[in-house]
This record gives sequence, C-alpha cells and structure tokens, in this order.
Amino acid sequence: MTDYIFGGRREGEVPRTHEGRNPRDVSHLASQRLGVPVAWWGIAMLVASEATLMFTFIGTYYYLRSKTPVWPPVGDPEPHVVVPLILAGVLATTSLPMQLASMAARAGRLVATRRLIVLALIVQCGYISYEMWDYQHELQTTTPSHDAYESIYYVLLGADHGHVWIGILLNVWLLAKLGRGLTMYRLNATIAVTWYWHFVNLLTLFVIGTLTSATLL
Amino acid sequence: MATVELPARERVERLEQMWQGKPGILGWLTTTDHKKIGLLYFWTTLVFFAAGGAEALTMRTQLAHANNNVVGPATYDELFTMHGVTMIFFFIIPMTTGAFGNYLIPLLIGARDMAFPRMNALSYWIFLTSGLFLYIGFATGNGPNGAWFGFTPLTERAFSPTRAEDFYTLALIFNGISSSLGSANFIVTMFKLRAPGMSFNRMPTFCYAFLAASFGLLFALPVLTADCIYLYLDRIVGTHFFDPAHGGSVLLWQHLFWIFGHPEVYILIVPAFGIATSIIPAMTQRKLVAYPLVAIAELLVVFIGFGVWAHHMYTTGLPTIQVVFFGAATAMVVIPSSIQVFSWCMSMVTGRARFKTPLLFIAGFIWMFVNGGLTGIMFVSIPFDQQVHDTYFVIAHFHYIIFGAAVFPIFGGMYYWFPKVTGKLYLERPGQISFWLIFVGTNLLFFPMYIVGLLGMPRQIYTYPGNMGWTAYNLAETIGGFLTAFGILVCVGNLLVSYLRGLPSGPDPWLGPTLEWATSSPPPEYNFAVIPTVTSAYPNWDPEDREEDVRKLADGVMVLEEGHEQPVVTTADGNFSEVIEMPHSSPWPPTLGLCLGLVFTFLVLEKFFVAGIFGALCLLSLVGWHAKEPQEA
Amino acid sequence: MTRLRKLSLLQWFGLFAAAGIWLAQHGIGQGMAEARCSAAGGGISNDAVQIVLMIVAGVVILAAEAASVVVFRATSDASYHSPPPVGRMRMIAIATMSTNLIFLVIILLDGIASILDVACRNS
Repeated sequence: MTDYIFGGRREGEVPRTHEGRNPRDVSHLASQRLGVPVAWWGIAMLVASEATLMFTFIGTYYYLRSKTPVWPPVGDPEPHVVVPLILAGVLATTSLPMQLASMAARAGRLVATRRLIVLALIVQCGYISYEMWDYQHELQTTTPSHDAYESIYYVLLGADHGHVWIGILLNVWLLAKLGRGLTMYRLNATIAVTWYWHFVNLLTLFVIGTLTSATLL
Repeated sequence: MATVELPARERVERLEQMWQGKPGILGWLTTTDHKKIGLLYFWTTLVFFAAGGAEALTMRTQLAHANNNVVGPATYDELFTMHGVTMIFFFIIPMTTGAFGNYLIPLLIGARDMAFPRMNALSYWIFLTSGLFLYIGFATGNGPNGAWFGFTPLTERAFSPTRAEDFYTLALIFNGISSSLGSANFIVTMFKLRAPGMSFNRMPTFCYAFLAASFGLLFALPVLTADCIYLYLDRIVGTHFFDPAHGGSVLLWQHLFWIFGHPEVYILIVPAFGIATSIIPAMTQRKLVAYPLVAIAELLVVFIGFGVWAHHMYTTGLPTIQVVFFGAATAMVVIPSSIQVFSWCMSMVTGRARFKTPLLFIAGFIWMFVNGGLTGIMFVSIPFDQQVHDTYFVIAHFHYIIFGAAVFPIFGGMYYWFPKVTGKLYLERPGQISFWLIFVGTNLLFFPMYIVGLLGMPRQIYTYPGNMGWTAYNLAETIGGFLTAFGILVCVGNLLVSYLRGLPSGPDPWLGPTLEWATSSPPPEYNFAVIPTVTSAYPNWDPEDREEDVRKLADGVMVLEEGHEQPVVTTADGNFSEVIEMPHSSPWPPTLGLCLGLVFTFLVLEKFFVAGIFGALCLLSLVGWHAKEPQEA
Repeated sequence: MTRLRKLSLLQWFGLFAAAGIWLAQHGIGQGMAEARCSAAGGGISNDAVQIVLMIVAGVVILAAEAASVVVFRATSDASYHSPPPVGRMRMIAIATMSTNLIFLVIILLDGIASILDVACRNS
C-alpha cells in the first residue's frame, strides 16, 4: 500500500481527539495534537470582538475627557481609587488558579481541575458581590442621565461587570460539565474559559485604571 | 487508516448515511450543513434585495420630474434610510459572506463543514429575525428615517421622537451579532480546517479576501454596537453621550460610526474581489498574476481602511493637524486596490479569456470599480471634498463602487457557481443579455449623478425645482434604474429557467483550479469522499493529486467515516494536527434566534423586564445547546 | 532555536510590526492632535509628539522591511509555490517587502504634514 503523508504526518499518527472520554485518554490524545485547538481560536475571536467593544468604551471616556476642561465635571463625585484598584488586583489573581486548572485538565488531573476552578470562582463571586453593592450604592448618588461623565462611567463599569458575570456563569457551567467527567470537549472548554478569564482580568485592570485616572491624573 | 476493510463504494455509502440531514422542513430548520445555510442566506438576501430595489425605484420615480409628488418628504426620508440599511446590512454582507462564503469556503479548503456548524446556523437565524425586526418597524410606520448613517443630534429623541430610530439602533446591534458570529466562524475555519498540506501559500485568494472581510467585520462591528448602545441609552434612559450641553459630543457619533463605516465599505467589496479572483483564473485558464501581492493586498485594503474614517468628516471642522492623517491614509489605500486591478487585467490579457457571462460581469466590475475608485481618490483633496460633500457626486461614487464592485461580482458569481450548486448549466445567451442590460442600465443610472452632483444637487432631497438644470439628468437616471431592474429580472429568470430545464453540468464545466470543482455537482453533504491531497494553490489543476485521491478512497485513507469527522491543521503551515467530531443537526440555533428576536422586540417596546426574561431563556438555550457533546450525538 | 524557527519569527515580525506600528502611530497621532485642539488640550507641543511618533514608527517599519528582505534572501533557493514552511515564509516575505513601504510613506506624510501645518486651524 502507498505510504500516504498529509501535512507532515500519516493518518494513523494523528489523534482522533473526539475519542478522549476519560482523563487518561484525554491527556494522551491532547499531547499528540499540534498547535492550539479550534476552541482556542474560537475564544480568541470572542476576545477580539469584546476587547474592541470595551476599548471603544474606554476610548469614548478619553475622547469626552479631552473635550471637558474639568474632569470629573463640577458636581460629579471623584471616583474611589484604593478599594477598586485592590479589588481589580484580587480579581486578576484568579488568572493563576484558572491557568493551573487548564494545565491540570491537560494532564488529566480532573479533581485538581475542579478544585482550582472552585477556588477561582469563590474569589470571582466575592468580587462581583461587592461590585454589585457598590454600583447600586453609587446610583443612589448620581445617575447616568446626570451628564456625559456619569453616562460613560456607568456604561464602562457596568459593561465590565457584565463580562465578569458571563465569566462566572461560564465557570459554573464548566464545573457542572466537569462533574460528569473529562472528555476532550470539556478540556477544550476549560482552555477556552481560562483564556476568557485572562481577558476579563486584564480588561478589568484597564477599566478600573481608566476610571480611577479621573482622581489620580 | 480505516479500521474496517470496505470497498470504496461502501465507504461512500457509509459517509452518505452518516451525514444525511433530517428530511423536509425540519431538515431545513435544524440544518447545520454550510451548503444549506448558504442557500437559506441566498434566497433570503434576494428578498431583501428586491425590497431595497423597490425602495430605490420608488425614489427614482419621485425624482424623475421636478416638483413631483409620488411620495412626500417624510416617506422619502424613510425610503433612503431603509434602502441604505437594507442594501448594506441585509443584502450585500449576507449575500457575499453568508451565501457565497458559507457555501464555498469549506469546499475551497477541502473541509467537510465550517468550524462551528451550529453557530453558522445561528448566524442565519439571527440575520433573518433581525431583518424581520427592521421591516416590522417599517411596516408599522416606524421605519428609520435618519439616513443609514443616523447622525446625531437628528436621531436623538428630541428631533426623532417616534420609535423609528429605536428600531434603527436595535436592528443594527441585532444584525451585527449575526455578522460577528459569522466572521469568527470564517476565520477559525480558514485557519484550522484546511486540508492537511494547504499552507498559507497554497490557500485560494478567495479565502484571503474572506479573511480580510471577516477580520474587518470582527473589529468594526463592535464599534458600531457601542455607538448604537450610546444612542439607544440617550433616547431611552436619557444619557448624554451626544449632548454638548451636558459634556457630550455630537461628533462622537460620527467618529465611531465612520470608524465602523469605512471598513464596512471595504468589507462590502473585498469578498467580491475574492469572487473575481476565483473567476478569472478559471475563465482564462491561467494562474493569477502576482498571487502573493494579491493575497496581501486584500488584507491590506481592509487594514488601512480602518485608518481613513475621518475623510467622511472633512466638513465638520476638525483641525487640519488631525485631518492630515486621514488624507495620507486615504491616498495610500488606493495602492492595494490598484495592485489587484493590475493583477486581474494582466491575468485576462495574458490568459486565454473566455468571455462567458461570469467573465463579462467581472470585466464590467473592473470598469465600474476603476470608475468609482478614481472619483474616490478625488475625495482625498479636502477642498474638493468640501465642495461635493452631501451632493449627488458622492452618491454616484459609492454606487459605482458598491453596485459595480460588489453587485457585479455577485451576479458573475451566481452564474459561475450555478453549475456547482444546481448540477445544471445556465443558458448563455440570456446570461449575456442580462449582463448588457445591467451594465448599460447602471451606467445610465449612476453616471449622470456625477454631473448633477457637480451642478449642485444635494443628496437626500425628495424633490427639486424645475429651473436648476437637473431634470434631464434625473430622468435619464430613472430610465437607467428601470433598465437595471429589468436586467436583474432577466438574470433571475434565466437562472430559474436554467434550474428547471438546464443541461447537466457535470462536476467541472469550467476546468476550474480550486477544490470545489473536484467534487460532484451539487456536492454531497460531506463535500469530499476523501479529504483532498493539496500540494499547490491550484489543486484542481494537479492531476497527480486528484489521482491520489482516487487511490486513497480505494485504500480507505483520509475517508474519515467513523463519525462526522474533520481534520484539523496548524494555522500557518497546514500540518495535520488532529481529527475532530463535528456537530450535526440541531434545534438550538433557530430557538436561540427566536429568543433573541423576542429580546429585541421587547426592548423596542420598552418592556425591559419581559426582555430580561427572554434574555434568560437565551442563556438557557445556550446551556441546552452544549448539553450534548458532538461525540455523544 | 533552529534556523527555520528564527526565519519564521523574522517573517512574522516583517508582517505584523509595520502594520502594528502604523496603527499605533495613526491612533495616537490623530488622537493627540484632536485633543491638542480641544477644550482640555494644551501641554506638549504637537510638533514634538508627531516627530517622535514618526521617528519611532519609521525605525520599526524599516526594521520590519529589513526582516522581510532577510527572509526573502534566505529562501532564494525556493519559490512561493514551495512546500511549507519555506514556501510560506517566502510568499509572506515577498508580500511584506512590497507593502511595508506603503506604511512608511503614510507615516512620513503624516509627520511632515503635521509639522508644516498650523496647529488647530479648522479644515
């Protein structure tokens, strides 16, 4: 029979990754694939789109600021600095357990994967709980319809919180899936959700940095 | 390697059974087959094309004579707004990307489907529901009327108190989700699902064009979404993004709109460039001149196009030290387009051109595109731009580009791929007649607009006085419009009759160079019985590789019939990475499309709690969607 | 790192560096020009900002061009039809050698026009 080689490999050398239905097989098959999985590119596309949206909001903030001699305008409270920056930093640290969860899943260590995601989720839920309280507390002082500064403040911050919420829902869904075992699909999902969280954590730093710049700069 | 020893015919039968969709209407509703989705897009966009065309002909009838009263000013405002929004968002983008892109890209790269088949279906259902959403607004007297670019403060609630502009903002956000999902799907498909061995230097130029358009959509649409969110919030919640009295900026709308809007117009024409670069090698039996430069030019024209937006704002009083950036980029963005025009012309001149209907439309496209492009370069000059801004000169320019550079290749592509999609040959003589009717009609329709624009006729006016010297030109344009419409009817009629009575085409009537011609017409649901061997950018012109495919089928190699299997490769070099399982029929895409439609419906009705309930249902639909993994299906 | 891997990195640098630096120069340059002439403007001279942007962008683009030329010359035994990775690298190098010059011209036009122009005059 002819020795067929495609893209540098024979068909028999290439993993049929959909056959990975337990941690050992998943780990073995994942180690044989080249490059990043399709799911990685999928989440990269989502991140590109959402990053553009959020950086449009950030750009709007600076654009409106460039048109306004005093910022925040007179009558608007200056944003808090210390607590938001610390909390953004705390949220950013959840990238570590998420990345470790991703690596554990690739190595077929399902229990470790679940525990690390739970750890990240606890911190993320703590973060968003405080932020929800703070957001509604601020709304009792000023509203988005007060002026353009408040409009962009609440939209930018609210959009960031929305992305954190989506990440939390993804983590809950992922834990539910991983509760039934590890398949290649669930490994890919773990990798994708991890990258989503790296994006959200970095984004939150930019957003809080932008909003607190009104006080700092 | 196949684990079961089966003769080739039995392997093919196994593939047929594995990939067969559900029968009847249910099959179409739950399909995830890129070809069926492409056809759904095709017919739906034709309906929107007819709607946009009817709006155009009504306007032309109104403008045929001075002081006419076919429609009043309010209706006229709705007509030009709906015409622009319909043609851009509901005809050209979904026709090029949704219909042509969906149907052809997996075939061109030797794949069995798109990377995310269910998301592909979702793109279609969202497109359909967003179009219905917009037109329900139109039908209920809430048609948007602030022009397709919706400038503030006209579109703020103070000056547009009805729901019309709410429909506008929400429809654009809604439709944008469809295109964003589609573009993500195209990029991942072209990066990861090419046949092993198809490296970047062996990828068809059609794919480079669609990569460019997809990246353009991916990065441009969120900017429009942000702009529309601001306008929606200004109108509904009372925010002040565009209100200078409270620290906002009217020009913020324009900046953001054109940061989206200019890449958008390149996104309209670049897929059509891809169609042209597919037709020319086949019809001239010659490899494309300067393939590497054409490939990068397609990407570059969209990329530089992100930096020219303020050339739409030369009359807004921006400082010249800012505006120079846009003049420089606008001047240089011509170069990638010119590289492509050079390549097309040289390929035709140095090849053995067969001027069948598809190549006629491409020749017409080149004429129209160069014409419109030359007037585009004229806009680089700020003083000239300020003189002709908001006149019919601008309308002439962009219709030469959009009709000429987007719609002509669409017609050419319809004729070119008609045999592949239907398995029949179209009738050549009526095809050529349809081309000449459309070509003469569009030039008669749009060329006088240059003249009447230079004579001072503003755009978006519902009538004009009789003593301006514009009347004869407008009458000529109206005649041209109806001639064009007649030509389009001849084209559509020809394709319909050919579908019913055309001769069988066989798999490859054109001796085409790309992989879609290496499979049957129409292609089977799984596209290729074996994943094709690829060793060049013109794989169907490599007979040794096609013979190897026959041997592979006999030996059971790369048939991948143990499920809905698809190879995955590394991005740049097409090295064989893994074999994955693809999802098949699913009810979740139309379900989610419907739920999302209801979210937007209740948003426009300002019933936010109910909209939230349907939003939660959307999330539940997503959970249901992912409940069953592809390997469990 | 193997020779092919180094060439590949140079090839990607040649593709993305010029495009990326133009995007940055364009966004920052026109944004700072508008801010300079807005209500909250003032501060650093626009000429100084634009000269720095032009020089930095110009250097990066020339480096990208040099990288493309290096890859083109190192793959002279092959053609852009050749199998990957060499064929792919050569094709992209051919493309970027030509098109990086477009970015160079744009940033030179931007910088020179900004300096020669009168600040904050309406267009």
